[in-house]
Amino acid sequence: MDLDVTLTDAPIAEQILVPLPAGAYGAWIEFRGVVREEESGQKIAALAYEAYPEMARREMRRLLEEISKRHACLAVRVIHRIGLIPVGEAAIYVGVAARHRAEGFALLAEFMDRLKQDVPIWKRGSRAVEPATARDSGPMPVAVGRKLPLFSLDEAMAKIQAACQPLPPLRVPLAEAGGRVLREPAKATEDLPPFDCSTRDGYAILADDPAIRHQVVGVIHAADWQPRQLHPGEAVRVATGAPLPCDGLRVIMQEDAVLEGDFVRLARTDSSKNIRRRGDEVKAGQVLVTENSKLDAGRLALLATAGLAHPLVSPRLRVVHLTTGDEIVRPEETPSPGQIRDSNSILIRGLLAGQICELHQAHLPENFVAAWAQLDFNKIAAADLVLVSGGASVGERDFTRPLLEQLGFEIQFNQVNLRPGRPLIFGIKGAQVAFGLPGNPLSHFVCFHFAVATALARLTGAAPPTFQRGVLPESLVSESCPRETLWPARLSLSAGRVLLHPLNWGSSGDVTCFAQANALIRVPAGQGSFAAGAEVNFLPAGAI
Amino acid sequence: MIFMRVLFFAHLKDVTGQESVNIILPFPHDPGQLWERLLELYPALAAHQSQVRLSRNWEYATAEMLFQNEDEVALIPPVSGG
Repeated sequence: MDLDVTLTDAPIAEQILVPLPAGAYGAWIEFRGVVREEESGQKIAALAYEAYPEMARREMRRLLEEISKRHACLAVRVIHRIGLIPVGEAAIYVGVAARHRAEGFALLAEFMDRLKQDVPIWKRGSRAVEPATARDSGPMPVAVGRKLPLFSLDEAMAKIQAACQPLPPLRVPLAEAGGRVLREPAKATEDLPPFDCSTRDGYAILADDPAIRHQVVGVIHAADWQPRQLHPGEAVRVATGAPLPCDGLRVIMQEDAVLEGDFVRLARTDSSKNIRRRGDEVKAGQVLVTENSKLDAGRLALLATAGLAHPLVSPRLRVVHLTTGDEIVRPEETPSPGQIRDSNSILIRGLLAGQICELHQAHLPENFVAAWAQLDFNKIAAADLVLVSGGASVGERDFTRPLLEQLGFEIQFNQVNLRPGRPLIFGIKGAQVAFGLPGNPLSHFVCFHFAVATALARLTGAAPPTFQRGVLPESLVSESCPRETLWPARLSLSAGRVLLHPLNWGSSGDVTCFAQANALIRVPAGQGSFAAGAEVNFLPAGAI
Repeated sequence: MIFMRVLFFAHLKDVTGQESVNIILPFPHDPGQLWERLLELYPALAAHQSQVRLSRNWEYATAEMLFQNEDEVALIPPVSGG
């Protein structure tokens, strides 16, 4: 028998073609079940139908096959509409082709009776479904998030940027500020230098003093403050950096002068004043270090100079990193057949080395219940960032998504159209951020630099990573891939250009190349190769 | 370890507040055992149990059937299609 069973949310066509050639059948019986204006005594405008689609289709086919054993027919067409159906429109259409009308009517009647008993389709009225309420907080069941779309690399980075918020800043002493992100503009509270001072060891005289021989009337060292008005014919010996005793002076370098007892004679004179004026370098109120800058040694020194001893900075991040997988042994152990050493723990620790953070790492068994029992809920509740290595895919043992959902994270995406690193999970719970990283180390490396680094930048208030332009000194040869690729590369600087040497990586499990990699070349989807000399986009991924 | 997706339809969505959940069982369950677990999780289902059938992988479950890892299970309340 020729069967065709369809579920649709569109109106059912007015005309349905008989699926058999003319002459092959003696009866074509059509039935349309139409929505009436009254349902359970209430006037209605439309009826909402809900289905369990996979099972409804199967069940309808199963019923038709079973009934046709008793009432043999030639062909059946069934269309059941679901969703909101206005009064007067058909909810179901059945067309039966048979040799004679008797078996056709019999099959149709029995099918409709059975459909109303067994096929998982429901009238749901037109009332709104009440919103789901929060469930009890025990470890099970896990609310299954909806199926999420595949994100592009750009969409994923934008989602992370939008979803992560800077953590509240705090003030710390300069000695603890290194590596943190400055969260307000650091403004000078006073001029620098704060007074006119000599840039040379030499003799200060009046700028317009024509004499070439002066009486030395004083000595000023760097830390001295000795205001006095100089007169023509007088000089004061000054050290480099020493505050000058009054306005209107110039400093003669000691190399250009000869000391004769209490007098100094100018052997040579030129127009340079050898004075740094008050506020020459920095004026009070000027921004010394901009907001969102990472405080490195130079910036810290500038803040110290300006007396900004307690800058407002990003807090110390609390990071929890959980590894999963029963195939993992510690680096100092010898793996049994089928096992591998854990490189992701030290990789993540290394990648976080540039962050001011407190890292808590733990390994979880590959059994959800056992893993759940081992979780340090206090650490996780206090964490700003939770990373889970492995288990990000959808195999039966891949529990990262249910684990994060059970911990209360709302999953924002669970797949990125990228190689390596497609099964990347990103979740948010209030201000907390979580990533499920695909297990292999190169995927970790890639996902860290485009995804985790973006989140870290947002959490700390730093500028998120962005793609830069560089040049390929050699060709990059790859098979065309429908996914975008972040291709590991070695970045170097040469003659003012950024050169990106593509590294070999056989598969996303390749662990040798990322020991060299400090950049990731962006290879667009569908593009196989780049010629030598091509300009490409890349993401920095480590020190040059 | 049995990972199982359980779907709720029609008014059972309101009863449980969920459209679907993942549950994890220590060993394969028959329908009676699964119901015990479901009633622990959602006591409000008890009022509906006598009218609700279980399906396993898009077929109505039989009393002897065992629910296995990765099965898709649905709670099917009385239907009203057509």
